[in-house]
Amino acid sequence: MSNIRVIGPRGSGKTTYLAALAYWPDKRRLGKKAHHFTIQALNNETRELAEKAENIIREGGSLEPTTVAGGIDSLPFYSFRIEVKNLLTIVEMNLAIRDYPGEIFEELESGTKNHLTEEFIDECLMKDVKGCLILLTEWKKGTDKFYSRVLKRFTDLIDSHDRGNDLRIAVAMSKCERGELWPGRLAPEIDLFDVHLPETKAILTAKINPKNLRFYAISTFGVLQRNDPRPNRVDEWGTDGRNSVLRKPSVWQPYGMISPLYWLSTGKRMRDDA
Amino acid sequence: MGIIYIGDRATGKTHLAMELANPKSHYVKVCHPDYEYLKALLYDDSVGETRATDAEKEVDARHLDIQVKLPTGFKQVTVDCIDTPGEIWRKTWQVDNPGKWKNFLETVRKSEGILLILPPYRELLNQGVNTEEFMTQQQWSNRFNRWVEFFRQDCPKARHIVVCINKADLFCEINQEALKLAYNPNGAQFNWHQRNSYVLQKYFSSIQAQLEQINKSISGLSVRCFITTIYNRSLLELPWIYLGAFLAK
Repeated sequence: MSNIRVIGPRGSGKTTYLAALAYWPDKRRLGKKAHHFTIQALNNETRELAEKAENIIREGGSLEPTTVAGGIDSLPFYSFRIEVKNLLTIVEMNLAIRDYPGEIFEELESGTKNHLTEEFIDECLMKDVKGCLILLTEWKKGTDKFYSRVLKRFTDLIDSHDRGNDLRIAVAMSKCERGELWPGRLAPEIDLFDVHLPETKAILTAKINPKNLRFYAISTFGVLQRNDPRPNRVDEWGTDGRNSVLRKPSVWQPYGMISPLYWLSTGKRMRDDA
Repeated sequence: MGIIYIGDRATGKTHLAMELANPKSHYVKVCHPDYEYLKALLYDDSVGETRATDAEKEVDARHLDIQVKLPTGFKQVTVDCIDTPGEIWRKTWQVDNPGKWKNFLETVRKSEGILLILPPYRELLNQGVNTEEFMTQQQWSNRFNRWVEFFRQDCPKARHIVVCINKADLFCEINQEALKLAYNPNGAQFNWHQRNSYVLQKYFSSIQAQLEQINKSISGLSVRCFITTIYNRSLLELPWIYLGAFLAK
């Protein structure tokens, strides 16, 4: 079982990403690419999350934010079996994934010692955690600086927890269905991170062993169709206007969801995850 | 876990809670307590309306076992449904009863869902309705400022705030609106986003800026707007189906 943590700022779509992953088994009948992989939810928490995807996301609602209130022990573990079919082989991954509340990511900026944050970070950087998926979502003025400060602090913590050589970090731009991002999804390191988050990328490449760092583009909602790249999302009001909901559940086709998990788990690049 | 009904006097909070238990249900079924039991407790046959909730008890809690039919099937929602007397929103009551007001605020802060029940405003009403009993739109909008203040100051961690203009039978063609807004787990005309946008624009436009203020001040929150009436089951059930999708086990 590969242990993976998902971190990122509030509203970056961490739980929605996992809910879409958990719900996938029902949708695989619809996508013609489905033969590349199959996903199975292994425990009750994951099955409940899949139900939330069906009862809330598909119905035009958005999931509640994950909160720090109950501490690390109150957070569920989501457990998946993913089978990826390559040309001649089938790779099976068993994943135990936990997503952390966005506050934890954001509090890293201050650098102040906080018992709750320390509890989360210690758990995130335990020896049996294979990798972290970091979801970033904004690029408006000042965000690059904010992300780079937080990730500088995070990489220092990786070193102080003696994980510098053996923790894989997949950094993904989430919600890539947005028109400004969608064309850059094929080469995210160059077309998304170099363009929108250069300081963040510079910090990460300077501080993390290149063999342990990869950049990805993820779109949980996807676009309407291959030849109609309008985002399959509708923005609605919410705190900071960050809420978005699924536009057309009937054509829901996420993009780039499996590749980062495949690499975090196996250390190998996945052939196709479109 | 708790869901609390709040609102001014005579907005119909108790009647909404009681009618939810009516066995003639669509997708929300109250398994316990029984409708007849609730009616005997809350309804005054002699005057043909629910009894005013006792202001001596700042919260009137009732444990409800509810089944909600969601796209993934029937789900159980176990809630403490808490009704509040409208009097407690009067400043004089709060000053005279500081201990009870404090208890009430603690209950609100612990609640997972808050249903704010508003009366319709005068300009919205159908012809023939006695408008004297209702606030003007300006008064209604001003009164809502105090709700904004309440949510921002006293409910900073609220997970779900649902705002309902009740007594929809007095201000719209409820069957037509229900046709548009009705929920159907097998595919409805509108999803939650579309229902909210429709109701917001049609009935809540004068307080849209205030609703946005609530949204902005409480992290991760999306206030949802509904119209409700005890005379149309689809409209009555909608807020509960919405909350049920989040709170169901």
